Amino acid sequence: MAENSGTDPAVETNTEENAAASATIIKVTVKTPKDKEEIAIAEDSSVAQFKEEISKRFKAKQDQLVLIFAGKILKDGDTLGQHGIKDGLTVHLVIKTDNSCAFKGNTAGTANPSPAGNLGTPQGSGPSPTPTQPPNVLAGFGDLSGLSNLGMGSANFMELQQQMQRQLMSNPEMLSQIMENPLVQSMMSNPDLMRQMIVANPQMQQLMERNPEISHMLNNPELMRQTMELARNPAMMQEMMRNQDRALSNLESIPGGYNALRRMYTDIQEPMFSAAREQFGNNPFSALGGNTDNSGVQPSRTENREPLPNPWGPPDASAATTTTASGTATTTSSTTSSTTPSVSNPLGISSSSLGNGMFNSPGMQSLMQQISENPQLMQNMLSAPYMRTMMQSLAQNPDIASQVFTNNPLFAGNPQLQEQMRQQLPVFLQQMQNPESLSVMTNPRAMRALMQIQEGLQTLQTEAPGLMPSLIPGGMAAGIPGAPLPTGVNVTPENPPPSGPAPAPAPTPTPTPAAGTNTAQQQLMQQMLQMFAGGNALTQTPEVRFQQQLEQLSAMGFINREANLQALIATGGDINAAIERLLGSQPS
Amino acid sequence: MADGSSYDVKLYIYDVSKGLARQLSPMMLGEHTSVVVYGEEFFFGGRGIISCFPGGTILGMPDSIVDLGNTEVPRDLFQEYLSSLRESTYRPEKYHLFEHNCNTFSSEVSQFITGTKIPSYITELPSEVLATPFGHALRPFLDSVTITPSGDNTMNRYGQL
Repeated sequence: MAENSGTDPAVETNTEENAAASATIIKVTVKTPKDKEEIAIAEDSSVAQFKEEISKRFKAKQDQLVLIFAGKILKDGDTLGQHGIKDGLTVHLVIKTDNSCAFKGNTAGTANPSPAGNLGTPQGSGPSPTPTQPPNVLAGFGDLSGLSNLGMGSANFMELQQQMQRQLMSNPEMLSQIMENPLVQSMMSNPDLMRQMIVANPQMQQLMERNPEISHMLNNPELMRQTMELARNPAMMQEMMRNQDRALSNLESIPGGYNALRRMYTDIQEPMFSAAREQFGNNPFSALGGNTDNSGVQPSRTENREPLPNPWGPPDASAATTTTASGTATTTSSTTSSTTPSVSNPLGISSSSLGNGMFNSPGMQSLMQQISENPQLMQNMLSAPYMRTMMQSLAQNPDIASQVFTNNPLFAGNPQLQEQMRQQLPVFLQQMQNPESLSVMTNPRAMRALMQIQEGLQTLQTEAPGLMPSLIPGGMAAGIPGAPLPTGVNVTPENPPPSGPAPAPAPTPTPTPAAGTNTAQQQLMQQMLQMFAGGNALTQTPEVRFQQQLEQLSAMGFINREANLQALIATGGDINAAIERLLGSQPS
Repeated sequence: MADGSSYDVKLYIYDVSKGLARQLSPMMLGEHTSVVVYGEEFFFGGRGIISCFPGGTILGMPDSIVDLGNTEVPRDLFQEYLSSLRESTYRPEKYHLFEHNCNTFSSEVSQFITGTKIPSYITELPSEVLATPFGHALRPFLDSVTITPSGDNTMNRYGQL
């Protein structure tokens, strides 16, 4: 209740929160990059109180607010007086969006273990650190703040991706982290893969038709390699971009040069921009030599995108990482087997095991979790064309996939599993291409049903481990897509912690078909097996498989090999149907 | 972020009128400024907010460096701030040679990050120029010119007409 003279608040030693009523009210201007508001507050308020007012006025959460005055960050426990904030002065405000939180590394994460707690409760009693899937997913991730902080209520995957892009752009370190990730590097070092992915983008294809130089460029492996080298070395990239930049601006000063430039822009860059923006929110080719760039700061946007899709591929690997802990010390549910190579998870990679840097960032992890919780998101994701591209490329490139495996620390400790995975790999990749499996994946109800089955199976395992040996290894290999949506969606409380040993000894991962306890289940299982068996028909790449058909198609005049291939894959090799597809008369 | 919670903030001032740029364009605006912090140089140009290594623009090393003090603002928060700016008041097309240029940016950033302003002679420069009859006459023309320190001036006249 001390009366503050207000003239020398800096000397004020009273740091307790005072009732506002007894002090002078001052008007402080709060300025954000976009906005400015005047807020009346008691002179001796604490920063926390101030933030409360601010959060009301700016409609943001209090913990998203960061106040800066005179170059100092105002902490909640301080008072305004401590910092010398007086009437009429301006305080700067930054409202943290999800992006920045993701970057704060684990700080926010460790402070927010509650979601883990929440999902942990259904598990009830089990003191085991690795109960069932849901909490394990979260525990495996280590920090979940990303979930709420990522704040993405929207199921729009594109937005998500764009946010990731923004994150990337604003933090060059992240980029170098990504680049250093061996997974990414291995992808990059395969020019064919890159090329495929780029080329498979339909807008790119259009663009290529209009501008054959682009396809030349793409087809030039040297150039691609160089580009990828560049991508790996951001400093070099910037250098090159700057050079290009300068060269281009010099062009302008030549008479008629401006027009040439402009033409170049409208013909090439714009369509690419919009093509890219639709899909990736960016110009994918700013890094490819010969084309105009936009700004020197974001040259490496291009290659970033390539690694990004990767973690989406096996979205809920960790979801599938049912514990089975077997008491692994690492909470990163590195317990294998669980990462059931399901349809949605052909590589059986858990996101957490993808390694350092970006992939482990809370943002990413929370994304995983979000995906697992939101089937819609999953659907959007899968329907993203480049996703399909990604999968196709992977399918056609078993090498990459196996590389991915070997790099996967998850499997590192379990060569047996590794072997198994490797063998089953082509099969899985095939499945990915099977349109049926895709449609199953995109059907949330189907997913949920599958998940329930899987859970039932798990329960079964623990209840009757004796059944395990009798389970069909091959069946599992079919990759039952049980994994995808474990979290939150339908957590059945009665899921006791599947004891470690249960799945581990069995060569097959967790969701193995139960033997006969539940005939309905069994039948369903068999049906599923058959469905996937259909996709298992051949382990060759579709190109090889359809070699003959492709030739027929091209003889008929369908020269677009990529489209042919896709049509053939979609129709399972049926030429006539493929033709109809190509002619656009069939809805895909 | 590694060296504790306090970062040096400096203002780099480039006297553009001495360089080639002046000969290539009727640019009378003498100074370009940028803010250097966290080992990076930030400035606002025709392309929006750009960052590079200190002294990494074509203008080379600055003609003078002013120490703006220290800041506690961590780098990622600053990046966050910059990206808000990028989306609002400092989009590339908002560049205006006299009224919303690199110096405006430097001033605002300096305010944000340290609470101190940049030397006033820089911010007052445009108004001085405009006050002269010559400057006043040239204004419409100058309005269409953008200085991009990454190199030469880009004349936006085609864009405007």
